[in-house]
Amino acid sequence: MSWLAVAAGAAVGTAARYGIDLLLPHPIDGFPWSTFIVNAVGSLALGWLTAALWDRVPDWVRAGLGAGLLGSFTTFSAVMVSAIAIGQGGELVGGPGSVLPGDFAGAALVVFANVFVGIVCALIGLLVGRGGRGPRLASTPEGGEDA
Amino acid sequence: MTGLAVFGLLVGAGVLGGLLRHGAALLGAKSRFPTAVLIVNAAGSLVAGAILGAASTLPAGIPLILLTGFCGALTTFSTFSVDTVRLILARRGGAALWNIISSLALGLGCAALGAGVALAII
Repeated sequence: MSWLAVAAGAAVGTAARYGIDLLLPHPIDGFPWSTFIVNAVGSLALGWLTAALWDRVPDWVRAGLGAGLLGSFTTFSAVMVSAIAIGQGGELVGGPGSVLPGDFAGAALVVFANVFVGIVCALIGLLVGRGGRGPRLASTPEGGEDA
Repeated sequence: MTGLAVFGLLVGAGVLGGLLRHGAALLGAKSRFPTAVLIVNAAGSLVAGAILGAASTLPAGIPLILLTGFCGALTTFSTFSVDTVRLILARRGGAALWNIISSLALGLGCAALGAGVALAII
């Protein structure tokens, strides 16, 4: 049941992320606003769900919404690929033979923006989701035993 | 490939990536440190770097399907950031910092390695 929920969640999460990529296209060496936005929104949502919902729903709901939907909606590899492309330039960006210079500061900005805003959003989500009901951090985001 | 075929394969690749990540998370569920997410994020960054490096030689649509579909869903940012905050709230700041540093070092290193190897081979 939880595998089926993960599959369904991953289909929706992947499609939604691709949709936002299409709405906010960026060149491979441009700031990836679409990736930044899905990671911020996904971190906020997972933080909220973890604190507000996880301890009163069955495993398959946690698996479908956490590991499936939000796990697939957000992405780590796109951040890394953006940073490498921006930082390295050359053939990764301009194709065979290109000697386009890399932009180290631009690459660092992509990594820092995603990590800093992602963590702040997760914190806000967890604190808002917890509300006045005391700590509710006993279950992991992926729905397993406490990590 | 038609746009619809690309979309279908992209979503299918995303489901595969999500299921692989879920399997890895179940294997690592007993760990006190989010090692499973660290490993899938590094592995996905390695594959993504290689696809980026080889993109000019791959058929149209394939880099998109593999990068946005498979690697995008295999790796995750929301679990990384929530796990990091949960470590901080549990007063395990050192583990939280280590999670950030190791994720970024491995992710960037793997993406650069994948891209470099792909560019050297093609």
